[in-house]
Order: sequence, then structure tokens, then C-alpha cells
Amino acid sequence: MRRNLFIVAGVLAGLGAGWAGFPRAIYNSRPQPVDFSHKIHADKAGAKCEDCHAFREDGSFAGIPTLEKCAGCHAAPMGDTAAEKNFIAAYVTPGKEPQWLSYARQPENVYFSHASHVKRAGLQCAACHGNEGSANHLRPYEQDRVSGYSRDIWGWQGRPGMKMDDCVDCHRRSARKGSGALAGERSCLDCHK
Amino acid sequence: MTTRRELFKFAGGSAMGLLLTPAPWRLITDTALWSENWPGIPRPAGGEIRTRFTHCALCPAGCAVRARCVGEQPVALAGVDGGLCPFGVAGHHLPYHPERLRQGDRQQAASALAAAIAASTPDRGVAVLDLQPGRTASWTYRRAVAAIKSGVYLAPEEPACAVNLAAARTVLSLGAPLLDGWGRPNLVFRARPDFRLIQAEAIESRTAALADEWLPVAPGSETALGRAVAGEIGAHEAAGITGLAEEQISQTARALRENGLALIVAPEMTSEVLRWNLALSGWGKTVVPRREAPVPKTWIKAAPVIPLAAMRDGSLGALVIDESVPGAHLPWAEIERKLAPGAVVVVFTWSRAGYARHATCALPTAVYPEAEGDLPQAIDAPEAGFRLTVPLIPPPPGMTDPAQFVGALAGLDIKDALRERAGAIHASGRGSLRTYADGKSQAVKDVKLDDFWKALNAGGAWTSGTEDSGKPPKPASITAPAINTDTLWPLRLAVDSPAAAVLVSPLMAKLSQESRLRLAPRTAALHPKAGFEDGARAMLETPYGGCAIEVAVDASVPPGMVLVADRPEIADLRGADGCARVVRI
Repeated sequence: MRRNLFIVAGVLAGLGAGWAGFPRAIYNSRPQPVDFSHKIHADKAGAKCEDCHAFREDGSFAGIPTLEKCAGCHAAPMGDTAAEKNFIAAYVTPGKEPQWLSYARQPENVYFSHASHVKRAGLQCAACHGNEGSANHLRPYEQDRVSGYSRDIWGWQGRPGMKMDDCVDCHRRSARKGSGALAGERSCLDCHK
Repeated sequence: MTTRRELFKFAGGSAMGLLLTPAPWRLITDTALWSENWPGIPRPAGGEIRTRFTHCALCPAGCAVRARCVGEQPVALAGVDGGLCPFGVAGHHLPYHPERLRQGDRQQAASALAAAIAASTPDRGVAVLDLQPGRTASWTYRRAVAAIKSGVYLAPEEPACAVNLAAARTVLSLGAPLLDGWGRPNLVFRARPDFRLIQAEAIESRTAALADEWLPVAPGSETALGRAVAGEIGAHEAAGITGLAEEQISQTARALRENGLALIVAPEMTSEVLRWNLALSGWGKTVVPRREAPVPKTWIKAAPVIPLAAMRDGSLGALVIDESVPGAHLPWAEIERKLAPGAVVVVFTWSRAGYARHATCALPTAVYPEAEGDLPQAIDAPEAGFRLTVPLIPPPPGMTDPAQFVGALAGLDIKDALRERAGAIHASGRGSLRTYADGKSQAVKDVKLDDFWKALNAGGAWTSGTEDSGKPPKPASITAPAINTDTLWPLRLAVDSPAAAVLVSPLMAKLSQESRLRLAPRTAALHPKAGFEDGARAMLETPYGGCAIEVAVDASVPPGMVLVADRPEIADLRGADGCARVVRI
């Protein structure tokens, strides 16, 4: 009995380390610079995704809004939350751009057109970004210590992944449904620079 | 007490347990991803993604370019209203070319030229050789040499006419790479479905392969076919020269006369080719006069254009060569003959590979897409036009603007030459302005001068609109040289990719060298009957010199021809007649 006890204990320790310890150890967690609430903006201000995450006149996607966009409404406090006051004091008043950490940042060699997916294909933001728009707080940004990529790229907590396989899967499914989407097998240069 | 054996058992069990978790597999993936991001991997600059417009300066076609820029860095080039050629698509690589010239002694060049100008006499003149005439910079050179004692402006002969492919229903191409960079690619391919293309060429070039009919004529005999279809010589005589059947030549002549408007094109649209087109009643339809955008009235007193061949041998005490933009390449031996003993040669160039090899002083210049300037008229532009090459990135420090340098030698202030030219075009009130960002055209008379200039600098283009061609000219009657029967120079030299002289992205040059689809730079292809075995070492010789080559035996190369890849050494060897021989070493 004692002969196998250490093997079993080792297996259990390995399983524990691999399933519980490793996911915590592999990611470096950092808070976002501002405690931003998508929910408050959506509920109270009636904002839609594209009001802040806008397309430019030339059709390209502006991504995370700049301070100028935020300051358009928040030059002075609109409510009484501590988060808003802190934001105005730390960023709007000194004119300092918040260093947002992008959950969905793709590698430099990837070209992704928001315009094609949102405007032409009518894809909802949540299809890739999950239900971020209804969250009351911004999650900490979790970065893989080895690869340097965001944890969201892998897909977790019900969020869809944003890896190449995920893109290809979605395109294949859409193509099968006859939506006109490319089947994802056309050429490398459709998506890669 | 725990024994060492038990510790090993625990470690082994842990390893087995870990294998049943995502940890090791994830670490493998992460390590692979890390290897894509480690510090040694070049990382493109981040920044706002924007679209900018310019015009490609790699050939006179001057295609409109949509540049995708990340921050200030262009990362992808694409055509507007159609595709770009492979050279244009990779144009943004050129600033990083390993052959790029980065240093030059501007002070030394200025002093040497000033001394040569001071000592110049009619027998020892000062000349500017402009390899791409028809630009605003060309006008600056002409104005500058007019102000310099014994100044001469030299330029290759300009085409005798422009062509209108859209009007043609049958096109006979006498060896012109019509579908391979001869005209503006997007417009050529747009017009292509509407005309029947007959390609007369010794080798099956890419244009020949895409033509409706390929006439494999004897090397160098294309001119005889042109004369035959224009009725200047008989089909029987032409058949003897070209190696085609008499009936085939008669059939081609009939096709040109009976299937609607016809056009004959050749690599150089000389007055002889114009004469053949006049015989086919193409004037004002398929061939039109070359039109140039208006210039300020004060520029008209510029020096005349003189071909290099018209200069006396040994009559130039100083020569400035503008090789900053791709243009014609004259064999160095032809240029050298015109130089007086001890002559100063200053070359403006971006690359060490061209005339810089022969210069007293080579000054580095900006290269596309760093350089600012305008473009000459494309051969297939029936209207006058004015398009700017808008810089997409700033040039590195130490670059010289050739026009400003030459202008300063003559005491001219030419900083605003492009703007002055735009002012003259605007003042003419003619034509329309097209802006690519919104795809709109508007009449110039409805646009304010400042807005016109702003639109041109945002990548807009001005075109004059349709104009009356007037009466047909009377081209000089030139007797074409007979086919090469010289036993001393029994071969005709042809280049594999005429557009790829020097301005090629290093990436494309590498792919080309590694590919068997194109000839390697030091290889020459010969027919099996030439008597060489594959891989033989030989000398390629022409009246201008020679260079060592490796023979590639290729049955698709016709007897009497030697096919080589284009490169500066070959450009220095090629004369207009293309005479050559290959000698075993």
C-alpha cells in the first residue's frame, strides 16, 4: 500500500498543479487604468457600442475611444461616482490619455477589418467580444507570461476565442449557411499582412 | 522516514499527473507563440491605420496607389481602379534596399561642377542628362542649363505619339510588352477584352502567351513585319526576313485593315511606328499627339531637348546624370564617348548599382515612396495629365534633391516649381480634377487654386480632357535597318523582364533568384543548336563590352537569340540594335 501511496500522491499533486495552479501562474493580471462601466453607459446614457467604438469617415475602425471622445461628455462630472471623479482628475483635467489594455489585441501580422465584419456581414460585437457591453466593471487584463497574448484570445468564461482556428470555424459555419462569408481557405494574405 | 526511492515515485507520479492537465501542452503552444514574438523578430510600428493616396513613380505609367499606413509607415500598397504590377505592390520596400546609396559629398560635387561651369567653352560644355524627361524637374533642368554658359539639356528621344488602346479593335504589338508593364496596367487590362491582340515576337514572352495570336518572328525582324502590314514592303519580302509564311503576313495585314480601328505598337513608339499607324488611318483615334500639362509662361525660355547622339564626341567637360527615378538606360560607353578628358560626372541616384559606378561623385537621393515629384505622360495616355508622387515617408537625412541642386548651380529658386506648374494648369481652366478618396471628378474651373493644390497633394490627378488631334504629322521617312546578318555579332540580345532593371524590392529580387521561372542574374539562355551545354561558362559580348555568364540551354529561346535577366551590367551592354555574341571561356 505504502509502495503506491507516493505515486498516487504525486499524480494528485500534478493534477492539482496543472488544473488549479498553472492557470493562475501563467497569467499576469493587471487592472485597467479606469474603472469603466459599460453597463452604466448603456443603461443610463443609452450609448450603443458604435457611439464610442466608432468607424472613421474612411470606413476604418477607430478601436478604443481616445480621451478626446470621453472628454466630450465628461469634461465635468455627470454623476457622482468615485470612478468618474477619479477619471476626470487623473486623465481629463491633465489631458493624459489612459493607457487602456486591449483584451482583443491580435499579433502584428494579422489584419482584421471591423468594417467588413460589422458593416457588411452585420456581425454583432458580442459575437467575438462576449457580453462586455453589459459588464459593470472592467475585468483585469490577463496576459500570458510566455506568449504575451491576452487571455481573451483563447476564449474563457463563456467568451468566444479569437484565435485563427476560431476565425476559420466561424467562416466555415457561415459559408455553409450560405451567408456569403468567405470559407476561410482563400489565401494567407486575406488576413495576414 | 521518506526514502529517495519514494521521492522519485512522487516525482514520477507528479509528471504523470501533469500530463493529464493542460499545462505541458499549453506551454508547448506558448513557447511556439513566444518564438514569433521574441526580441529578434522585426516588429512593424504600431499606430493609427490610415489610407493615403499617391502615384507610383516606378515607371511613367504612374498608377494611382492606395497606401495602407500604420502610423506614418506604409505597410501595403494597392491600385486604385485596378491592380498594380508586382513591382508597384512591393514599392514600399525600396527605401530599405541593401544597394541603397546613403552617403555622398555634396560640397565636393558642387565645387567640381562650379569649376567646370566657370571653365566651360562651346567645346567643353556642361550638360544635364535627364533619363526621364517630361517632368517638372525636367523643365527645371532645361531652365537651369539655359542660364549656364555652354549648358546643354540631354534626354532620350520621347515617343512620337501616344496611343489610345480603348479605341483599338485590333492591336499588332511588335515585341512591345503590352500586357507586362508597357502601358498603365489597370487601363490596359480594362481595354483588353475589346481588342484582338497579335503579338509578333521572337520569344514567347508573357504578353505573347496572353495574346490572341503569337507570331514567332525571327529575332530582330519585327520592324519588317510592321513595314509589310503598312504596305511599305511586300509580304513576300517580309516573309523572307521574318521567317513567317507569306499568307500569315497577308492575313495579319487584312486583320488590321478590316476588323475596325487598328493600332501598331512597338517598345519605342518612333516616328516610323507612327507612320505605319497613319497608313492605317489611326491618327486622332488610336494614335494621338503626346500632350503635356501647361507650364508657366516664364519657363518657355528653357533650353531645347537634345539627344545624346547629337553631341560631338569629347565635347562635355561636366555631366550631371539624374538617375533618381527609373527611366531609359543608355550604355555607359555611349555616354563616356561624349566626355572630354578629365570631365566631371555627377550622378544623382538612390542605388550604387547604376551610373554611380562610373561617376566622379554620386549623390544619394530619395526613392519612391519618399521622393516628391510629378510624372511624365504614360505612353497610353491620350490626354495630358498632372499627377504628383506624394511622399508616404520622409527620406533619411543627407539626401539631395537633384532639381534643387541643379537649380541652385544656375541661381534659380525652384522650391515651388510643382506649385507654380499646378498654378499654370489651374489658370488654363481646362480639364478635370479627380480625387481618389471619394472617387469624384470635378471641373478645374470650379475648384479654387488652394483646393486644387491640396487635392493634388492628397493624391488627386488632373487630366486635360479630350482635345482635337489636329492634322496628322508627316513623320520622317526612315529606312529600317535590315535584319542582323553580321557574322561578328550573330545573336540578338533580349532581356527576360524589361521592367525589372534596378528598382525591384529586395524581397522580389530574392524570390526571383530562387525561382526557376525567371533567369538568374548571371545566366544567359541559348537555343540547344547554339552549341553550348547547360552550365557552360562563357562571355556575353556586345559592341559596348562584355560580361561573364553561365549558359542555360533552353529550347524555347529561338536560334539567333540570347536571353538574359536585366541588371545594370546588361543595361550597359545593350545597344539599340541588340547585337551580341557568346564566346566560350
